Parts: sequence; C-alpha cells; structure tokens
Amino acid sequence: MEQQVTVAIIEDHPVVTEGVASWIRSDPGQRVLLVHTARDLTELHGVARPAADVIILDLELSGELVTTQIPGLVSSGYRVVAFSGHSDPSIVMETLDNGAHAYVSKEEGSEHLVEAVLAAAADRPYVTRSQARAMLSDQRPGRPELSAQELQALLLWFQGMSKASVGRRMSISENTVRQYISRARAKYAATGRTAPSKDALLARAIEDGVIKPGEIMPYTSFASAAANHRPSLGTPGQ
Amino acid sequence: MSDAQSTTMMEGRYQRAFTIAVVVLVAGWHLAGDGGQLLQYRPDYASYPFQVAIWLVMAAAIAVGSLLMLRGSVDWRLAWAIAIVALVASTASAVESPAGHMLAVNWAWGSAGWTGVLVLHRRRLAELASFLAIEAAATFSVQAWDGLTRLDLAAFLALMAWSTGAQIAVAAAVKALDAAAGRAAAAARSEEAARERAATAEIIQAARHARWLALQESTVPLVAELAAGADPSDERLRVSCAVQAAQLRRLMAEGDELPGSLVHELHASADAAALRGVAVEIETAGTLPPVPGPARRVITDAAIAILTSARSQARITLATVTAGIAVSFVADTGSVVLLPSASQGVAIEHQQDGGTLWAEARWNNR
Repeated sequence: MEQQVTVAIIEDHPVVTEGVASWIRSDPGQRVLLVHTARDLTELHGVARPAADVIILDLELSGELVTTQIPGLVSSGYRVVAFSGHSDPSIVMETLDNGAHAYVSKEEGSEHLVEAVLAAAADRPYVTRSQARAMLSDQRPGRPELSAQELQALLLWFQGMSKASVGRRMSISENTVRQYISRARAKYAATGRTAPSKDALLARAIEDGVIKPGEIMPYTSFASAAANHRPSLGTPGQ
Repeated sequence: MSDAQSTTMMEGRYQRAFTIAVVVLVAGWHLAGDGGQLLQYRPDYASYPFQVAIWLVMAAAIAVGSLLMLRGSVDWRLAWAIAIVALVASTASAVESPAGHMLAVNWAWGSAGWTGVLVLHRRRLAELASFLAIEAAATFSVQAWDGLTRLDLAAFLALMAWSTGAQIAVAAAVKALDAAAGRAAAAARSEEAARERAATAEIIQAARHARWLALQESTVPLVAELAAGADPSDERLRVSCAVQAAQLRRLMAEGDELPGSLVHELHASADAAALRGVAVEIETAGTLPPVPGPARRVITDAAIAILTSARSQARITLATVTAGIAVSFVADTGSVVLLPSASQGVAIEHQQDGGTLWAEARWNNR
C-alpha cells in the first residue's frame, strides 16, 4: 500500500470536524490518515516540522476569515485545502491566490474533500464546481487567459455535468476534459501572488504534461505588477 | 389591464384627437371655403359642371383619406395615391379656369394642399413639403402657360405664402403635439414602472418572509424528529433533510435581485418543486445581464418542464457567457423531457446521460 497522506483538520465546529473525520474513515482505500484536529491555528505556529501533509482549513474560525493566514501555512510546508460555507467567488479566488491548493464548499464536502486532499498532497490540480464558478466569474484585470475549450469544460462542469458527460457533450475523452480543467487551474497558479504551493502545482502540471511552459503567462512581470497594484482582491488586513 | 398599457392608450387617444382635428379642418375647408368660392364665382368658370365634378372628386379623395387616417396608419403608397389624385384634380381645375383671373377663382389649389396635409401629416415633414412644392409648381405652370403678369406673380406668391404656410404650420403643430403626448406618456410610464418596482419588491419581501415562516414549520419538526432519535438512514428522512437543506440554502443565497429577474423566477419554480420533495440548488456565475420578459418566459417554461419531471434533485445554474446568459439544468428526470422550442432569442440544447438530463437554455442579446 502506498504511504497514507496525513491530514490535519482546522475547524471550530466539532460536529463538522466529526463529519470530515467520518468521510476520511469511510474512504474505501484508507488513503488518508487524520493526525491532528484543532479549533484554531495557534497550535500549528512555532512547530518546526509540518504536523501533516495537508491541512483542511475552515476559512472562518471564530467568526473571522482566515484567508490571510494561508500564505504563512503554505510557506511552512503545508498544502491547504479550504473547506468553507462561503462560496462567494471573490473569497474563493482570494483563497486560491493566497496559495490554497483547492477549494471545497461545505455542500461539496462528501463528494470532493478526500479527493481534493489526495490531489493536494500530490501537488495536482483539483477543481470543484465552486472553484469552476469562481473562475468563470473572474473579471479581474490580471486573470489568466483561458481557451474557449477550457472555458466550455469549466462551464459544463460548473453546470453540474459529470466529467464523462462533459466529454460526450464536447466530443472529447473524459481524460481530455480533466486536462482542460486542470490546465485552467494551472494557469491560475501562474498568476497573482507567488507561493511555494503554486510553484509546486505548476511544476507538477508541466511534468504531467497538463500544460506547456509556453502556455503560462510571463510569470515575473505579472507577479511584480500584481505586487504593486492589486486593487480588486481587497485582501483583508493588508 | 396594466397601467403601462393605459399610458400607451392615452398616447394613442391624443394622437387620434389630433387626427380628428385635422380631418375636421380639411373637410370644413373643402365644404365651406372651396364650396363657397365655387358658388361665388359660378358664372366665371368655363364649365361649371366640370368644376363641380372636380370638387366632388376632391371631396371623395378627402373622404377616403379621412377614413383611412382615422382607422390608423396609412400605407405610404396609398397616402401618395390620394395626394396625387388631389394634385391632378386641382391642376385640371386650374386648366379649366378662365385664363385672365385663374388665381382669383381657383379653389382647388388650397384644397389639394389640405388633402396632402390630411394624408401626409404623420409622415416626414419633408414629404409634405415636397408635395406642396409640386402642387404650387403645377398651379404656377398653368398660370405661366396662360401668361404671367407682375400682378399674377404677386397674387401667386401671396396665395402660396398664406395657404402653403398655413398647411405646413398645421402639420408641424400636429407633429409637436404628438411628440408632447409621447413624452407625457413616457413620463407616466416611468413613474408607473417605479411604482411597479416598489410594489414588486414588497411582494418579493413578503414572499421571502412567507417562505421563511414555511421553513420554520417544515424544518423545525424535522430537526426535532432527529433530536428525538429518528434514524438518519431512513430514506424518507434523508429526502426531507435534503429538500429542507436545499430550501434553506436558496433562501440564504437569494440576493436582492431586481424584481422580475430570472433568478427570482427560477427560485419560485424551485420552491414549487421542493413541495414535491425535489432538492433544488441554484447557483450563478458572473454578473448576469437583464433578460427581457418573453425570453425569460421561454427559460422558466423549460425550468418548469424539467423540475416537474425531476425525481429527487436538480441543479440550476445561471452563467454569463459571451453576449448573453446560459441557464442550465441537471436533473434526475429518468427520461427525456418535452422542452419548449427555441424562440425569443433563446436556444435550447439537451443531453441525456442515463437517468440524468442536462439541458441548457442560452439567451443571446444579439
């Protein structure tokens, strides 16, 4: 058996933590091992070695949005999967821009959370419908340019089709559907704020042949432009 | 009947009143003015019966023109045909008038001009001006053929200034009054629209409140049932939970969309489906453009068709796409649903995958 992926749950509602733990337990392959649960982030600070491969992070802890904490977690070596009741596209975008690997809304949890954790551990893109929705809604000037095929695959996925149905609709294989959606996600990893998790995701996408280096936007110029001028994201606390 | 319809009617009534005023003016002129002149100069005409016949032809043209104008818009060919009949009649009358004092006894020039006003006043002013110019030129040609003295020229110019000037003035006045009535109706309409918006917002607010109360009645017993130890693996309980959860989510997600917005109408369809035990979720992506009423109806018809066939769940999404909006439905209908046909700029596509139906209604604003 492959090495289990270790995961920590940061969630201030015990009933939700319990629910997530039960999804992890009921995974037939037992691919994920829950090693840590906490109601806030204080315990994770000051630990020399990451306590887990992946953090499942509730974005709202004790009534406060913690999206600005994500860059700190990511630079400590964690991969972050955001798990939130918020599905507002601007919050989703901010979460991804701050370096979270994936975004899973609470409605999508049972179907997607474990898979998103596994994808994050492998630095592979994972796009939920709420993430697709945020990408489709994105109107920021610095957004990456998605191809018509990528947009169509994202739209059909957001609409609620299975990937197999999207493939039938677009007369392509299910694998190609995954490739289009992953490529769109990788393009996002190449824009905005720099983060080790985004670099890792991009490197893996290139390695897997999801995206070619030439398809990525000029990285440094955008990052430096974005660092100087980021009016539309409105990161709280900055 | 809505008030928007009544303001349109009001505008229509004003326009009709102006038309009646023009008809009365033209008919009165022909009867009293021209008829009086015809009687007064009876001995002067070369052939009096001919002049009376021409007067009758002109009267018939005016009668037909009046009837057509009162019945509504007149085809331009018909309007010009009547005007040309009047032009030919008036020229014939001038030709048959005594050469020496044609202008003095001429009754037909003014009459033909007024007939032109009658049938052309709702068309562009340039058309009426052209007609009056042709009419003046025709009368002038007859006078020139007979011989033109300085006195004749002066009389011609005086007559033209008086009659053509009056005719243009009347037509312009009707145009101005039409525009004023249009503005008044537009103002009434926008005021009415604002009132309607406010009223609809209140209705939406009340409906939302009612839904909230209804949820209290349906959700609270369910939670109580669970708390009392009901078995969560019971299929009936799971279905009720899914439906209640979807309804709660919709209630919370419902923004302050414009009254009559597509999202609101879809929410209403979803609420109806929820009563049957179907869990419906609605999501939007992007800033949705306003969709005109007829197109909205096609889309909501599709929603109703799909939601009534859905067995237990449905997902509705609205997404901004190039030049429009894509409203999609994914539902476990089990079989193909009879969808409305494409119309009002809405194209509908669907795909059946096993028991799941995907359908998309795409409205294009071009």
